Amino acid sequence: MADKEFTPKVFYALCAWCGSGGSETAGAYWLKYPENVRPFRVMCTGALDSAYVLRALIEGADGVAVSGCHPGDCHYNIGNFRARRRIAVMKEILNTFGIDGDRVWLRWVAHGEGKKLADTATEFTEHIKKKGPSPLKRWDT
Amino acid sequence: MALGVIYTGEPEAAIKDFVKLLMKHKDIQGAVIPVKMEREGSYAFVFTKSPEVVDKSSPIAPVMPVQGARVLSKLTKRKPLTKPAVAVLKPCEVRAARELSKINQVCMESFITVSFDCPGVYPTKSFLKNADALEEEFKKGLKGLSVSGVRPLCESCTYFTGEFADFEVQFAGINEVRIIARSQRAEAILKGLGKAEEVEERDKKAIEAVLEARKKAKEALKTEFAEKVSTPEKLLSVLSSCINCHNCRSVCPICFCRECFFDSDSLKTPPHLYLERASRKGGLRFMPDTLLFHLGRMNHMSLSCVSCGTCEDACPNMVPVSRLFALVSERTRAIFDYVPGIDDRPSPFLEYREEELEEYEMPYYEARS
Repeated sequence: MADKEFTPKVFYALCAWCGSGGSETAGAYWLKYPENVRPFRVMCTGALDSAYVLRALIEGADGVAVSGCHPGDCHYNIGNFRARRRIAVMKEILNTFGIDGDRVWLRWVAHGEGKKLADTATEFTEHIKKKGPSPLKRWDT
Repeated sequence: MALGVIYTGEPEAAIKDFVKLLMKHKDIQGAVIPVKMEREGSYAFVFTKSPEVVDKSSPIAPVMPVQGARVLSKLTKRKPLTKPAVAVLKPCEVRAARELSKINQVCMESFITVSFDCPGVYPTKSFLKNADALEEEFKKGLKGLSVSGVRPLCESCTYFTGEFADFEVQFAGINEVRIIARSQRAEAILKGLGKAEEVEERDKKAIEAVLEARKKAKEALKTEFAEKVSTPEKLLSVLSSCINCHNCRSVCPICFCRECFFDSDSLKTPPHLYLERASRKGGLRFMPDTLLFHLGRMNHMSLSCVSCGTCEDACPNMVPVSRLFALVSERTRAIFDYVPGIDDRPSPFLEYREEELEEYEMPYYEARS
């Protein structure tokens, strides 16, 4: 394993209005991001229940990034404020058990910010690479 | 000084007399109060209109098999009561009920709550093994609030007085029993009964020693127990005896959802997906999703957890669930500076501020070209 470089599995939750829009803009400008990032669309970051993020972390993801509209821009007005509170709580819980809340990132990406999205994907992959595989990749969870 | 009534004698007898007095009020129907069951010697809440049942009751029960807030929630799930009833609850039950009323699961207008200085309760299993002896011991330690062998969370509970109920019963550290009205509604009732006297409140110093001891135990929970679960390996070994029965969830007063995500069909997958998960993780523990269940539930309700310890009591395999949840909830609610059941604010998941928690976001610097 030592000679083979660790490629993390990274999940990237994008909200339907801004995050996904950001990925469209990134595509329009032919910006590249690492292939190990698996984007998936949710209607709103506020609709992303913590159970889904935890399930990803437990079932094999090494990190989960979340991007939605900037504060005040939410299509549903308050979804991203709720998401922020939820993710703050989740990070605190993961930290309590040494699972490392830094494996979950929250960064706002607007529809036009294609570069920010591609950068976040790259940066987050690098960040998780440094951290190594998720400690929850075990059979006894 | 506050409005109230003073009784002499045993705290339990005083509470019973007071409940019977309240039941005479024209606007009050019935009482919800713990009563000793005849056969096995455990205790259960009874909703009654008859003063004879109140005579037979045990307001300060040494065990808590059912969390009182669940009882209130059940009673008022469909509609409020036509007239309020008296509810004799432990402080953590009052806190849970207040927390539930914020999410419309309990109608607090339907209950006049009476709460008291709580010495803690025994774990039901250890109580039933040796009920008679423990009951004696409980009665002895009641006035000094020093009972040994109570639930681990009761030992570290710092909100053990009834000040958040409508009527607070004070007896620890003083000679008589003082019942004090803590809300305007309670004051109006006392006046209606013609019993309102000016009563001196208990000096805080009288219970300081108990509070200090409990604070110390709480610190120990935060440091020693936190050390026991500080890594994923340690956490999983603590959870190793969990059989994923979801008992802790079903007795929890805060977990009110009619359908729980962790019981839902989204966690019941076709066999080939189990196989896939097993090959990805090198094996799959059955029952699956144990860690997901606990971590997920912490995410959902730790902000409202009142640390009553009922979950640990219901656990068949002695997993320290309540301590896990208390530890986590101490940390999560510190983010919002929120104390469940005491704060009048809505639960933090129900509100938001436009500018907050920036430290949990990832800053972006356009360094790349």
